[in-house]
Amino acid sequence: MKFCSKCVLPDTFPGIHFDEHGVCNYCHHSQLPDQERKQEYIRAFEDLLDSVRGKHSFDVLVAYSGGKDSTYTMYQLANKYKLNVLAFTFDNGFISEKARENIIKMSDLCGATSLIVRPPFPKLKKIFQVAATKDLYSAKTLDRASSICTTCIGHVKAIALKTAMEKNIPLVAWGWSPGQAPIASAIRHTSPQLQSISHRTVRDKILENSNELKSYFLSDEDLKIPQERWPINIHPLAFMDYDEEEIFKLIKSLGWEHPKDLDPNSTNCKLNALANYLHRERYNFHPYAWEVAGIVRAGGIPREEGVAKTTEDESMPMVKYAADVLGIDLNK
Amino acid sequence: MESKQEQLINFINENFIVGRGDTTLALQADQSLLDSGIIDSTGVMELVMFIEQQYSVKIEVDELIPENLDTVNNIIRLLKTKNIN
Repeated sequence: MKFCSKCVLPDTFPGIHFDEHGVCNYCHHSQLPDQERKQEYIRAFEDLLDSVRGKHSFDVLVAYSGGKDSTYTMYQLANKYKLNVLAFTFDNGFISEKARENIIKMSDLCGATSLIVRPPFPKLKKIFQVAATKDLYSAKTLDRASSICTTCIGHVKAIALKTAMEKNIPLVAWGWSPGQAPIASAIRHTSPQLQSISHRTVRDKILENSNELKSYFLSDEDLKIPQERWPINIHPLAFMDYDEEEIFKLIKSLGWEHPKDLDPNSTNCKLNALANYLHRERYNFHPYAWEVAGIVRAGGIPREEGVAKTTEDESMPMVKYAADVLGIDLNK
Repeated sequence: MESKQEQLINFINENFIVGRGDTTLALQADQSLLDSGIIDSTGVMELVMFIEQQYSVKIEVDELIPENLDTVNNIIRLLKTKNIN
């Protein structure tokens, strides 16, 4: 397999081609923000925080998985920016025990109120089974993440949005790494129309297969909410300095512990290894390749480490553990 | 020199279509990008970044609506309102 000489994307990645130096077309199109642009975002971000701080029951809902990036994001918001945080965790039934301890410990440290939502596992099991075996989402969506991860994050986005609206929380924060979402969306007030389309895209696929999960999503009627009631999505890691090693160093100094029972791309979820394994089997590229490529371009990790993260075989005991829980036969 | 329509179609083809699913269908300038699932929510922002950089314009929050971004023709119309011809 050939890899881009600059990032980590392999020659099996959809639409890829390389120039004479082995650099891929996605590297040529990537638009990395310079320090000046990052500073512009930081100023706008701080103005936004000043405009909402202390005016609501919570200043911000943080989508908090207990993993490295969302822990770092929550810590920055609570500690540096002095926000009152509601730490929302979606329990998909596969949270590592160590991650669960981290969620409690770090929420306490940040003075955050922890809200853990766990749908009945049999309902989730059913949709994860479907996601594991069918192409549920658009091809482009599956460039960025596995079908199982997209299903899970679809629930997280929907419940986060519903909760923020119900509790009148003005901001919803995400720990997206620089490779997961473009800086253009980092603090931009997304239009309700686009948010509605985005919500429906994933919601409809999930509900077509498991309508019993509908209470976790916004209905078409709900989506007609006036613009001023939509929370603003923020993902500050797009413009903050992002160095994975430094992030680990900081959060470990705060008491966060690295779960040992996970694959190299997750710091909280025991389903991830199976999700990655199935995606690679089906599409012949790693579902984290796009994200890791973005992190490498942004200087968050060395390229060699990125290549290792996206080529290393999954631990088969971890893959089998999740497959057994979901009742999936890996030989089919 | 490529027209704006060609530039936009080439960008969308390369980043969202080629190598994914049925690539025998050519993207039409009036084809919905969102309803067809060609572009997802993250993709919309990538497209916005491309437009802003390529044509040196700023797309404002209230312009982030399907009427402006859902087809190549809509994008060209939006650019015309910004005097990009």
